[in-house]
Amino acid sequence: MSPARSICPDIEMDLVASATGDAEPGTHERIQRHLARCAPCHDEYQRYRALEHATALLREEAPPPDVIGRARKRLEARLHELRRRTVLYRIFPSPLGQVLIALSEQGAVFAVEYLGTRADIRASRLTRRTDLELMEDGAEIETRFRELMEYLDGKRTHLDWPLDLRLVRSEFHRAVLEATARIPYGAVTSYAGLACAVGRPSAARAVAQALRWNPLPIVIPCHRVVGSSGALTGYAGNRIGLKARLLGTEGVPTVRAGRVPQVPRGRMYVGYPESEEYCLPTCSWLERVEHPHRLILFGNRQRAEAAGRRPCADCRPDLHPLAS
Amino acid sequence: MGHQPFETVLAAHHAEIYRYLLRVTSRRSEADDLSQETFLRAYRAYRALPADANVRAWLFTIATNLARNHFRDDRRRRLAHAAAGAQRSEQDDGPGPEGQTLFNEARGRLACAVERLPLRQRLAFVLRKIHDLDYDAIARSLGCSVDTARAHVFQALRKIRRCLGEMPQVEMRR
Repeated sequence: MSPARSICPDIEMDLVASATGDAEPGTHERIQRHLARCAPCHDEYQRYRALEHATALLREEAPPPDVIGRARKRLEARLHELRRRTVLYRIFPSPLGQVLIALSEQGAVFAVEYLGTRADIRASRLTRRTDLELMEDGAEIETRFRELMEYLDGKRTHLDWPLDLRLVRSEFHRAVLEATARIPYGAVTSYAGLACAVGRPSAARAVAQALRWNPLPIVIPCHRVVGSSGALTGYAGNRIGLKARLLGTEGVPTVRAGRVPQVPRGRMYVGYPESEEYCLPTCSWLERVEHPHRLILFGNRQRAEAAGRRPCADCRPDLHPLAS
Repeated sequence: MGHQPFETVLAAHHAEIYRYLLRVTSRRSEADDLSQETFLRAYRAYRALPADANVRAWLFTIATNLARNHFRDDRRRRLAHAAAGAQRSEQDDGPGPEGQTLFNEARGRLACAVERLPLRQRLAFVLRKIHDLDYDAIARSLGCSVDTARAHVFQALRKIRRCLGEMPQVEMRR
């Protein structure tokens, strides 16, 4: 006789659950009482018990450890590769418009980008990089954004962040960015001056081009680089207004002259990169300077002194400060 | 992100997820691919996972989804093959050698019966009986209700029981 016909069909599900350890205590007891008086169900119950025992064998069965070990090694290699490509980002509203901040998986700052009015990752240059895995994520980046806001409020003069310079395109590019990072807060220099600083005096245009691809604006302060005339040429595409604003935050004035704003070279304190002094723009020493484009210009005395400079002993900017 | 490093998650659960996928697919190459995919996906989503989430159940859900997608694509492929007159005969190293002893034989038959289950019943059975997940987690993995999950396991047990019942009851009757 087939057991399917002879067991009590209305309790089958509970019977199976009970035999395989899946039943509530009440159900289990009810089934046990039933089994005592129903032989076919009892038989069926025993078969399910046996099945449960066999299942226990399957449960203990595992592939050889080396098989799992090899699978895990392959996984770890792929995971390592994925982590390397992972970039965490957040987009924040700021007085400069939407700003994206991106970190590497290890927490080094990878990119800062102005997105204008779009709070959308699709507006970012990073999406064009097929070698990156972008993930939106939070807490660490929040701190960076707070520091950035402090900078914009004039409450912080340094963004002392660990940087990941993977987006840097060449050794020259790297050298330009490193030299740019050394320009002090509240000072400007020229593209030509920067070209001299990296040992390529004739490469002012290449320097400007390299700064165009600064992956970390503000952090690497390319806004502190202006034309030799003082004109605020180019910034983050065509965001010259932003450049003037950042300089204003640092105490560097800009004036309107024609279409392009510029820094008033004649009304700023100046110094040679190698010198430890700062001078009035009228200092007689300056007349003998061979490469005026290399001069560093400071918006005010406090900034020059914060950069470690002392007043020139000839022109005494401390005694005859410029009218602000 | 209030939870443990992903390495810890990997170390704790990789072997089990691999075993699950091997049991479900019966092929090492597929268990290999799908377990890799499971953890790469998990890595991508891990930061967004609530700190109090059950990581193990979550990994099983990812693995289950991938397995289901895999079989759906696989069936499509097989149909395409069949249409082209090709015969699929790849049956590479399964979960182990089959029955020299009665002990192994019962085990082998059971494994065989499990392999013949319809996919959802097989997944439910393996999740419940081999990996001991609760029905809530199984329901979430399969995207169904808890009652449906229970019904899948019941149907699976019933089919296995029938399948084994047709054979001589050497090991089953002890």
